[in-house]
Amino acid sequence: MKYIQLGCLLFLAISLLSACQKVIHLDLKPSDQPYVIEGIVTDQPGTCRVLISRTKQFADDNSFQGVSGAEVTLADDAGDTVRLVERGAGVYTDSMFIGATGHRYALQVTVGGKRFTASSTMPSKVTLDSAYIAEEDFFGDATKQLNVMYQDPAGQPDYYKFVEFVNGVQVQQLFVGDDQLTDGKEVTSTLRYFDDKDNKNDVPKIKTGDTIKVNMECIDAAVYKYWSSLESSATGSSQSASPANPVTNIAGGALGYFSAYTLQQKVIIAP
Amino acid sequence: MKMNKAYLLLFLGLLTGFHTYAQQPSGSAHYTISGTVTAQKSGETLIGATVRAAGAGTVTNEYGFFSITLPQGTYQLQVSAIGMQSHEEKVTLDRSIRMNVTLRDETLSLEGVTISSSRTDRSITNPLMGVNKLSAADIKNVPALLGERDVLKTIQLLPGIKSAGDGNSGFYVRGGASDQNLILLDDAPVYNASHLLGFFSTFNADAVKNITVYKGDMPAQYGGRLSSVEDIRMNDGNNQQYHVSGGIGLISAKLSVEGPIQQGKSSFLVTARRTYADLFLKLSPDSSINNNKLYFYDLNAKMNYILGDKDRLYFSGYFGRDVLGVQRTFGLDWGNETGTLRWNHLYNDKLFSNTSLIFSNYNYNISVASGANNFNIFSQIRDWHIKEEFDWYLSNRHQIRFGLNSIYHVMRPGEVKPGSATSNFNADLLENRFSWENAAYFSDVWKASKRLNITYGLRFTAFSILGKGDFFHLDDAGNILDTLHYNSGQFVKTYFNPEPRLAFSYQLNATSSVKVSYARNVQNLHLISNSTASNPTDKWVASTNIIRPEIADQFSAGYYKNLWDDTYELTVEAYYKRMQNQIDYRNGADVFINTNAIETELLFGKGRAYGIEWLFKKTAGKFTGWLSYTLSKTQLQVNGINQDQWYNARQDRTHDISIVGTYKLNKKWSFSADWVFYTGDAVTFPSGKYLIDGQVVYYYTKRNDYRMPAYHRLDIGATLQLRQKKKFSSDLVFSIYNVYGRENAYTITFEQSKDDPDRTDAVQTALFKFIPSVSYDFKF
Repeated sequence: MKYIQLGCLLFLAISLLSACQKVIHLDLKPSDQPYVIEGIVTDQPGTCRVLISRTKQFADDNSFQGVSGAEVTLADDAGDTVRLVERGAGVYTDSMFIGATGHRYALQVTVGGKRFTASSTMPSKVTLDSAYIAEEDFFGDATKQLNVMYQDPAGQPDYYKFVEFVNGVQVQQLFVGDDQLTDGKEVTSTLRYFDDKDNKNDVPKIKTGDTIKVNMECIDAAVYKYWSSLESSATGSSQSASPANPVTNIAGGALGYFSAYTLQQKVIIAP
Repeated sequence: MKMNKAYLLLFLGLLTGFHTYAQQPSGSAHYTISGTVTAQKSGETLIGATVRAAGAGTVTNEYGFFSITLPQGTYQLQVSAIGMQSHEEKVTLDRSIRMNVTLRDETLSLEGVTISSSRTDRSITNPLMGVNKLSAADIKNVPALLGERDVLKTIQLLPGIKSAGDGNSGFYVRGGASDQNLILLDDAPVYNASHLLGFFSTFNADAVKNITVYKGDMPAQYGGRLSSVEDIRMNDGNNQQYHVSGGIGLISAKLSVEGPIQQGKSSFLVTARRTYADLFLKLSPDSSINNNKLYFYDLNAKMNYILGDKDRLYFSGYFGRDVLGVQRTFGLDWGNETGTLRWNHLYNDKLFSNTSLIFSNYNYNISVASGANNFNIFSQIRDWHIKEEFDWYLSNRHQIRFGLNSIYHVMRPGEVKPGSATSNFNADLLENRFSWENAAYFSDVWKASKRLNITYGLRFTAFSILGKGDFFHLDDAGNILDTLHYNSGQFVKTYFNPEPRLAFSYQLNATSSVKVSYARNVQNLHLISNSTASNPTDKWVASTNIIRPEIADQFSAGYYKNLWDDTYELTVEAYYKRMQNQIDYRNGADVFINTNAIETELLFGKGRAYGIEWLFKKTAGKFTGWLSYTLSKTQLQVNGINQDQWYNARQDRTHDISIVGTYKLNKKWSFSADWVFYTGDAVTFPSGKYLIDGQVVYYYTKRNDYRMPAYHRLDIGATLQLRQKKKFSSDLVFSIYNVYGRENAYTITFEQSKDDPDRTDAVQTALFKFIPSVSYDFKF
């Protein structure tokens, strides 16, 4: 559970009497470069897209280097298929494709002589009741954090992913959860992130007047497994004893995921 | 299975051989000298004291009892123990004698040199070679973190026993995982022997009499863990005089009270230790500080009664807890409670029995109260245990141990309770798990000839999984195919396992011997943990219909030599261990998941570990210490991990070196130092990276193919004996941990460079640089 990990991390933070961090140099062996596919289908117009790239070596830069010339098709369970058009290197979209709850979508990508397939079923839409800013106090350091509220439907497994934007910039943190312990309850979830003052690239903490946008995605079980395994073992800073690639729902040997989800957004101004 | 048949034949053969030996030659009457060896000043029984007469010898057992049978005649009985002056007495043996021997503490001459005729407790003739014993004095002589001497930290300086690293609890013995060590405190198992993320163990070194460590080749009376046994015996309490001792250090304060209830017949001992740093937190006016809690405590209480010539009764209890609280938002506490009632009974001068009733409990509690998110998580393992063991000193050629053991385990793996009615968490109760572990064992230390000792034994265990509960059938991908419901008391499955133990020890000459041994160990309790730091919230899980008992077969060989008039000891041991049914986790496994079917997250495979250990020890003189070096490898092979190839276990460390030294300058000052070095853990580092949802994610190929940087540090310490009056003595202990401030890597993580978002950095976090400390101890 996230709380256990949070608690142990805090415990560590308190107990560290003279901890120090430094950047070190490691000799990492280069490896093969598998394809990375991010496939998204939502119930909102203009959001359907598939991003294709390859892994980069550790010393390379962090920019997105898309792979052109792939053949990308989406099919719904009625058998209708659509061929996505490349709009910019590695980005394949279709402006008309909209998904609907309960339908199963299939993705097929052919690139570099390889074929990858995946499928995802769009779950039912859980309404995002409200989003608000609340103040929290950790050791005298008051921070404003975004809270979201929703009513979890009882009697069915539900999985959620939230994305937070502060003044248009996406917060680099994964917010995923299930309803294992909150089935049927009115859930309040805090999308908590911390701003490391030493790091210029971190999104600064929320202050009065900031525009906060939150996306709520209702995802299926396989996609939840992808995000939760990514969070626990592939972010580079996990506490897991055995870092490993996330459990993908794409067959054929690619990294990444294919997610059909319902999308809702709310925008608020921080008080 | 072929191994078992061959062994059974050998065992039967030895048994018949044993019968012929057991018959005494007719004509000469044999009589027995038996009794207890105690320390004169305190009345404490001495464990492992040597009792010798006319070439025959034995060693006192865990309760200080010995028995030696000789033909009628007159003998010089020699009794010795480490740290004590030896005792010689003329004994005329014309009938069986009961004698209790008291030994005096070794004295210091005017120059401060120790006078003791037993310079080493290692007699080459002792059949139990390769067993590491540490006394309280050995533990006191090693510098320690923050001035706290620690039994478990000290044994990690011996070869074959590796520390889990700074900030981590647990240790690894001969390549085994940290849950493969059976830690016993006066017979009671301790499930989590560490406080505060592994900086301190739960054992207050002041009250420890003795610790015996077996690295996998344990005798048949021990079982239940694959890699080692740490049998810790506490002092019983001075039955001659009252004493109060205590101390205060940088982190904690401790107090110990002991004394007779009836002088010479019964005594008690109470020791307590608590950290006090959190009391300063309470003084702060800032409510974001004074609401926090951070402390741990240990309390040991013991009583014992000598009920006459043949009986002795002991009660002991241990209570310990760690508490962490962050304001009112988050709380984590965990702790052990154990209680034992033991009864020693002498059936006759050759048959000693001990009956123990043991209760052991370990649990943890997590509470979260943040707005509407409030809930508690509770998890517990509880044992009820009865043990009956006999020491039968049949003759000077056969010393037999046999007994029965029965443990009933109740595990409450996880209970989630909402903190209040308005909480947005539901209650979730995992099913309790019940199991019943039974064992019967037999072992004989057979002096087959003047030079050859054979220890052979068999431990037979039956581990039964009981209802009430739901058990599952899974497919290869870990999905549940079928759920089986069992009622209360119904047997789900029983695993039967014979565990043979065999050792041959051959004395080459007066100062050297060799030993070859084989042991099979079976483990039915498994610690489920998937993080780099072993957390107090790791789960203990019993074997099920899917989780099979772990089995280890260990072969080892050793060479032992005493040098230069017994002032130096050299030990070289090599081992090969093969392990079955080892547990590892599926990729992306969520081990915190609250499900009855934990098996859906697990994968099973095999392991192998081998190595060679060197120990060179100086035991006498002003300067004492040891040098230890281990060269080893540990690997696992689990289908579903690392493309089904063998991979290094996390605790695989090629080289492990410890150098420890103590110098007694004079009556006032003594100095100590230790230097440790080991190859870093095997770790998985990324082979590449990519972007997902705008965030950098890392790509991994092989498991544990890289190494953390090597770990090394130097600690120094000094003890100043302050004025020693007749009834009062005190000392100051200074120490510095990590003197040259080496930044040993605790973790290495990967993140976008703080200066340049287009670059990825490897960031190393180190925990401790130099940490000095002072502590004051007193005794009166």
